[in-house]
Amino acid sequence: MLEVLAGGIQATIQDVGRPGYLATGMPPSGPADRFALGIANLLVANDPGGPYLVGRRPGAAGIEVLLSGLRLRVLAETAIAVTGADLSPALNGQPLPMWQSLRVGPGDEVAFGQARSGARAYLAVAGGIDVPLFAGSRATNVRAFVGGVEGRALKPGDRLGSFPPSRPAREVEGRRLRPDLLPAFGARWRVRVVLGPQDDLFLPESIETFLTHDWRLSPTSDRMGCRYIGPPLAFRPRPAYLVEQAGADPSNIVDDTIPVGGIQVPGGVEPIVLHVDGPSLGGYAKIATVISADLGQVGQTRPGQITNFAAVSTDEAVEALRALEGSIAETSIITP
Amino acid sequence: MIYAEARYRPLGDLYLSVEFGDELSLPLNFRVIALDSALKARRLPGVTETIPTNRSLGIVYDPFAVSRQELIARLQDLEREVQEIETLPSRHVTIPIWYDDPWSRECAAAHGAPNNVEFLAGINSMTAAEVIRTHSGTDHWVSAVGFTPACYQAMPLDPSKALTAPKYQRPRRWTPERILCIAGQLTSFYPIASPGGYQLLGRTPVELYDPKQRNPAFADGPVLPRVGDRHRYVPIDEATYWGIRREVEAGVYRYQIREERFSLRDYLGRGRRA
Repeated sequence: MLEVLAGGIQATIQDVGRPGYLATGMPPSGPADRFALGIANLLVANDPGGPYLVGRRPGAAGIEVLLSGLRLRVLAETAIAVTGADLSPALNGQPLPMWQSLRVGPGDEVAFGQARSGARAYLAVAGGIDVPLFAGSRATNVRAFVGGVEGRALKPGDRLGSFPPSRPAREVEGRRLRPDLLPAFGARWRVRVVLGPQDDLFLPESIETFLTHDWRLSPTSDRMGCRYIGPPLAFRPRPAYLVEQAGADPSNIVDDTIPVGGIQVPGGVEPIVLHVDGPSLGGYAKIATVISADLGQVGQTRPGQITNFAAVSTDEAVEALRALEGSIAETSIITP
Repeated sequence: MIYAEARYRPLGDLYLSVEFGDELSLPLNFRVIALDSALKARRLPGVTETIPTNRSLGIVYDPFAVSRQELIARLQDLEREVQEIETLPSRHVTIPIWYDDPWSRECAAAHGAPNNVEFLAGINSMTAAEVIRTHSGTDHWVSAVGFTPACYQAMPLDPSKALTAPKYQRPRRWTPERILCIAGQLTSFYPIASPGGYQLLGRTPVELYDPKQRNPAFADGPVLPRVGDRHRYVPIDEATYWGIRREVEAGVYRYQIREERFSLRDYLGRGRRA
């Protein structure tokens, strides 16, 4: 059992998410960084669930911590693990070692301070956090008011119970991620994309610009969408019926499916990567789609940091996903 | 345009889009729904969910269960089989609307916009009363659901009742929940408070999104609108609005929903020429 002392910027309960409801406009939600939550769960011997969007297991629920400020008090002995961004996590005021499981007891306090690298940390608790399932998942979507604790971010006074752990805390204590798998969170990100579905609406020079320029993440970014600041992109001329039916702006299309990772370019400025809480339908041309394996890179980018987008084939994207999902496994964990 | 042959577009590694055209038209939407229905009946291996939109069918698939090439081949087979579909299941849903309600007026004024119904009257060369009579004088076909939970787009089935409206030049920062709106010829809806740029028509006392699923109408899920529904908007006055609102809040409102079939052949043969 944990008690929330401070909610920080935004801390939400997430599991792998809520697929199956895209046709109703309900986003899948889930972690902005699937690898980090999956490993956190494995470290405390929880089900990591998956794969994202097409898997059948939501896995155990943990906490996604955006940037800083979350403080928790431990009310009963358990094992925890913190992964993802380095948000200067502390246990009773001392640095808390990340990417490994720790035994904590009543009165212990876990706090997240200054963000040193990455944007989102994940905290898993042995057994997984016990909040009600909504449509098959515990993932929070604050805009749709569902999942997690009453469909909202954590706030002071919330008490988070957990399910019975698969193994006692003393048995999982000290489990850690293989060092070769530790992700490097720098100030520059490389994000792979598959071009399309509307790349043919952009001028070829603009596709080139998109794939070669430095893009700076805007502060106007969240779990719904991440905006990138860079040069304007231009569109091919459109037939008159589309001006009338889709809208006057050259980026307008008659609404169609937005995938998780889809990159809209409204008005040709500030491409937006629609993320795990993003809409399933929209009326702006999409130049490309971030591959599933790199959604976590987008989720870990901090405003002001630089991203370069690189085009790959769908086959390469599937192989990258296979590698990512394959790494969220017991073989990635070193036991003491 | 409607393409001679459907285009298969990749949307990353987990989605595929079967696109039948790039325009807004009912025959195009019918093809999307027909393929979606066939796909649901057939349950192709690896397909995990589908997203019907105005002009394309989004398909989510597990690339470890089926390759993209294999899936496309199966979908093309299926596409050939569903050319001749004649009727579709279509619910008829009656939704009470307080047109030109005080929340819409206040929201427009707060964003420096004129009264939206009067603005629509000007654009469509009619009176405000005629705007309401026209909009509520036909069934509206739900052609896409998405953006936010229970947000939808709908086209007037009687083309003579089509209004037209530009979007706001500067999108609003907020819109109250349960507001019906229009842009282009599409009617849409704000189920939850959100930013937006459509012109505001009115407000319904009825929930179309209920995450708590209290009313039996939400037994299947928290979202009421489905692609292929027909909506009829019925103008109500202030007293009726509050009467219905009280029933909705008490969880005793009876939604007016009829399960019917809709004949595409009859409609395409007659209605479009009306």
